[in-house]
Parts: sequence; structure tokens; C-alpha cells
Amino acid sequence: MVALRQAWLLAVNDLRQEARDLELVLTSTFFSLVVLIMLGMSFSALGISAQPLAVPGMLWLSVAFVGALTLGRIFTREREFDTLRALLVAPVERVSIYLAKAFVTIVILLGCCLITVLGLTLLFPAAQPFAERPLETFALVLMGCTAYAGVGTLFAAGLASSSGKNVLLSVILYPLTMPSLLFALVATRSLLEGHESFLTYLGQLTATNVIAFVVGAWLFEPVLVGVPQQRRGAARAARRRR
Amino acid sequence: MKKILPLAFLGAAALIFPVSVKTIFLDTPIEKQMGTVQKIFYFHVPLAWIMMLLAVVCGVAAGIQLRRDSKRAEAISIAAAELVLVTGLGVLITGPIWGHATWGKPWTWDARQVSTGLLWLVFAAYVLVRHYGAAGSERLAAGLAIFGAIDVPVIYYAVKVWKTTHPSNDVAGSLPSSMWAALWPALIALLLTSLALLIIRVRQELTDVTLDEAWIALDDAGAQPAPVSGDA
Amino acid sequence: MSEAALLELRGIGKHFGRLAVLRGLDLDLHSGEIVGLIGANGAGKSTLLSIIAGLMPPSRGQRTFAGSEGVGRDERARFAVVSHTAQTYPRLTALENLELFAKLRAQAGGHNEALRPTLDRLGLGYAADRQAGTFSRGMLQRLALARALLGRPEMLLLDEPFTALDRPGRTLLATVLAQERDRGAAILLISHDLEALVSVADRVVLLEGGVIAGDVARAPGGDTFAERVRSLAGRMPAVGAEAHA
Repeated sequence: MVALRQAWLLAVNDLRQEARDLELVLTSTFFSLVVLIMLGMSFSALGISAQPLAVPGMLWLSVAFVGALTLGRIFTREREFDTLRALLVAPVERVSIYLAKAFVTIVILLGCCLITVLGLTLLFPAAQPFAERPLETFALVLMGCTAYAGVGTLFAAGLASSSGKNVLLSVILYPLTMPSLLFALVATRSLLEGHESFLTYLGQLTATNVIAFVVGAWLFEPVLVGVPQQRRGAARAARRRR
Repeated sequence: MKKILPLAFLGAAALIFPVSVKTIFLDTPIEKQMGTVQKIFYFHVPLAWIMMLLAVVCGVAAGIQLRRDSKRAEAISIAAAELVLVTGLGVLITGPIWGHATWGKPWTWDARQVSTGLLWLVFAAYVLVRHYGAAGSERLAAGLAIFGAIDVPVIYYAVKVWKTTHPSNDVAGSLPSSMWAALWPALIALLLTSLALLIIRVRQELTDVTLDEAWIALDDAGAQPAPVSGDA
Repeated sequence: MSEAALLELRGIGKHFGRLAVLRGLDLDLHSGEIVGLIGANGAGKSTLLSIIAGLMPPSRGQRTFAGSEGVGRDERARFAVVSHTAQTYPRLTALENLELFAKLRAQAGGHNEALRPTLDRLGLGYAADRQAGTFSRGMLQRLALARALLGRPEMLLLDEPFTALDRPGRTLLATVLAQERDRGAAILLISHDLEALVSVADRVVLLEGGVIAGDVARAPGGDTFAERVRSLAGRMPAVGAEAHA
């Protein structure tokens, strides 16, 4: 419970800072708009039969690009002001940092998805089901963004704390998040085509979320600061006794 | 004993491989629907299995590396990841050759092809992070490997979940016994070769670690200045 | 000063590949003392601080704080770090910066001092409601120290705290550190500023060759401490010389 309370406090703190100058919100949503325009220009000639196959890809490609930008920016800021180290030294559960950053990423991504989904609905008639089934669309977008944030937050934080090169973030993020985006893609297609298996695919996407968050939370401390000396020593002692 | 193990594996593989080739091309009937090109299956499937096995080995070793700060586990993780790339290349080359002959298209973007390609990309990212990452990024790479290992079941169940153009998971189970007879030697030869390469590469990494430690021990022995304490 | 050391470092080694930064370092830090740590650039002072703070595991050796080898949340609640970077959120006010860490500590079961009086103590009371992004570097340094003092830490680790401060700021910092020492805190202070160290430290140690290569303590009634500290500092290699010779 302490971890969740601290995570909430950190997330609210990040969002409060963001509300003061809106840097991340404005840049990310502007980027979403630019991506949307580029996709619209590239695929405007698509026939109505091909659109249900292309629109899901457009949505989740947009999330992939904006997500990389958002995660990169969130942690570049932490690196710039070295505040991540301050949190790592403070009496804060390390997993709280992970949960807080993932939450903020999800909030930003949801805002960007709002623009992307609205834009796709306006540009492509086959995307009408987004408007006709808003609850399902919201659930789908929420689960997709959550899966992305669950995986991406761990590695963006890891790179920031090890002073790693930012270019490696893209190298890591895109391959790792693609399985989740693949599930999201299939679920989106089934939503647009009115398939009855949409809920099944949404359930599978939710399952990838659970895996991403469980593994991400478990790995956060070992990846960022390593295993504490005490635990390593206990493991060695146990091996010697055996 | 340990030193000759990879050589023994390579030797055994060198003996089994011609037997395997003979069995595949001379003793096994030609598959009715796909024709001679189906025989690439006997290399493609073992390579795919070995790739997934090595991905899991890499992920497990990475987990041990993180929990116990184990250099040996780290060496296994690095070696396994590099072999995932090698075997993965084999899968991604033999697969489209088979696909082109069977479906008329080398790459159909079906879920299994995509997932295998993704697994390859994840471990390519691992190798890049290990090579270009800053100090501390070995833990980050270990995290990557663990996620990659978790991706392996995604590949296995992709066909069942998405009903794709790829032959189903059951294709290996439904083979006639003469074709099984041809699969095993190829699998064993490729597995022994992979294990030999894994051992050699692990040994290389551990030698590197030993050299680093020797260097530091030498440095320590020669570098201690005489302590001075100055109380009034 | 209590007899048992609050912080014990035994045989601490740290290497990055073949680069050995620390080579079997031993150091004790007692409650109620200020220890200054000097060393050439690249000697490993910041690495040592990161190991003590639990940000980095040592390659070998043992770090014990208050009898425990762990650096879990409960241990981290008992010490504080002031880095050479201020580590403050620029878009939060000074008060909000403190409030965040105070709340985090409170949620972990820790105690906090009152926020505004802590800012006043560091001469920042007038700027409590200003965003930290508008602060000068010296003010940021003092804000970071205010945050560190919130939890009445048993151990305080400071990395170059005097660097950005003007003379009044240094005097204030020295006064605050002395107050903390008198309260019983153990303080490790990394600094290149010998004058500041001489004014405030009880003991100065030299990190050279990856180990503690020199240790001078202030003797009661003696007035040669400054001279001995300067002599110790004189042992540091000149610029361009190998730091680990």
C-alpha cells in the first residue's frame, strides 16, 4: 500500500508540473497531429475495403511513435535535473517510481490517442466504428497504451539512470512493444469489422498488460540500481550451505 | 574434460550431419503437396526450435545474472543472445524460401513470421545495448533478454490464436514416422553445433572476465600508496 | 562521538571493466563527526558516494550502515544525500519540492521537520513560493540541503556543497553542518575547498589510488589541523598526472 500511495503522489507531482507549462502535452499532441496528417496524406487514396486493414496500423503506429517521444522526454527531463537519482536515494519504493512514470505516460498517450482516433474517424469512413462504439474504443486504446507504457517505462528509466544514449531507447522500445501492439492491432481490426471475437482479443491484450507490469515492476529495481548487497550475500550463503 | 566438450559436440555433429542429409534427401519420401522444397522443413523447424530454446536460456540466464550478479550467467546470456541472432537468421532465410515455394510469397506477414522476426529484433537490440550501452547497461540488456524470453510463448501460440496462413503448430505432430526419422538427426546435428558454439562463446566471455579480474588484481597489488595518518 | 561506527566500509572495491576506481577501501564514519573527503578528479569520490548511498553495488567489499548491509526503504529513510547537482524540480516551488519529499517520507513512516522553518534555516524563507527553476545555483544547493535535513538524517552525504555558494552561503552551510554534527549526525563531505573543510571538518581523509591514503584528525587544543590538511592535499597528483599512480 505504501508503494501505491507513493506512486500516486509521484504521478500527481509529475502531472502538476506538466500542468504548469504543458510542454509534454503540447509537443506530444502536436506530434500526433503531424503523424495523423502524414498518414492521411499517404493513405487518402485507400479504397473503403482496404481501410479496415490499414486504420488499425495507423492508430498503433502513431502510438508507437508518440510513445517513444513521450517516454524519451519524460526521462530526459529526469536526467537533465538528476531528479531520478534523488528519488532512488529517498525512502521511496522503487516500484512506485515505475508505476508513477507509467501512469503519466498512459495519461499523455491517451490524450494523443484522442486526437488520433478522432482524426482517423474524420479521415477514413471505415474508422466510423470508433465513434459508434466509444466505450469499446476507449477500453481498447487504454489497454494498448497501458501495455506500451508498462514495457517502455522500465527501459526508458534504465537508460536514464545509466546515462545511456537516447538512440538506444528506440532500438529497445520498438521491438519490445510490438507484440503488445500486435495484439492491439488485431483487436482494433476486429472492432472495425464488428467481429464477435473483439472481447477475446481485448482480453488477450489485457493479459499482455498484466505480464508487462508484473515483469516491469519486478525488474525495475534490479535494472536501475542492481540487487542490494544484502540479498546477494544471502544468495551466496545459501549456495555455500548447499 | 570441459575443454574437449565443444569439440566433442562439433565432432558428433560433423558425423551426424551427413547421415541427416542422406536421410532427408535420399531416404525420406517427397511430400505430396509441397514437393522437394518441403525438405527445407528439416532445417527450418529445428532452427526455429533451437532459436526459441536459446531465447529462453538467454532470458533465464539474464534473470540469474540480475538476481545474483553472476558473471557466469551473464556470459551464458550474451552467448545465447548472439546464437539467437544466428539461428534466427537461419529461420528467417529458410522460412521465406519454403514460403515462396509453398504459398507463392516469401513473406506473408502472418503472426508466426512476424513474431519470429520480432524475437530476432529484440535480441538484436540486446546485442546493440551490450555493445553501445554505458556502464550499468548490462542490467538493462538483461531486462531486455527477460522480456524477449517471455515473447517466446507468444510465438508458439500465435498460430493458434490468430489462424494464420502458417502451417499449424501441429504440423510436427502429424508427420508420418519416416519424416520424423529425418527430423531427429537434423535437430540433433544443429543442436550439438549450437551447444558447441554456445560453450565456446561462454568460455570466451568468462576468459575476458578473468583477464579483467587479473588486471585489477595486478593493479591493486602495485598501486597501494603508503598510508599516512596525522594526529597532532 | 559514539564508539561504534555508524557507517563501516570494509574492503570496498569497484571496477568498470578493467578500470579499477576503488581498490579495497576501508572507512568508518561515526555519529557526531564531520569527515571531509578529498581526492584528485577521477579518484572515485563520487563513485564512493554512490556506493554508500546504495545507488551502485560495490564490486567487492562490505558496506554496513547502522549494523545493516541493506539499502532498502527503511535504511534510506535514515540518511540523506546532497549531490553536486541540485536534483530539484524546476517547475515546483521551493516549498513544493520539500513537500513532495516530506510526504514521501511520511508515507514510508518517517518523521519530518516543519517545512518553512527548514527553509528559513537555510536562508530561503523569502523564496519559499518561488519556482525552483528561478533559483541561482547557490540557492538550489541550499534547497537540496533543506530537503536533506527534513528527515533529521542520521547520516548526511554531501558532494561538493560549497562549490556554488558565496561567502555568506558558505558560512551558513558551515554553521548548519556544525549544528547537525552536534545533534549527532554523521557527515561525509566531499569537497575541493580546503578552507571550508578546515573550518568545519573533524577529520579529513584523502582518497588516492582507490584507497584511503591519508587521514588527519583535528586534535583538541592543537592548531596544526589546517597545515596538516594542506599537507595531505599536497599529496594529490598534479593535473595531467595519472590519478591512480
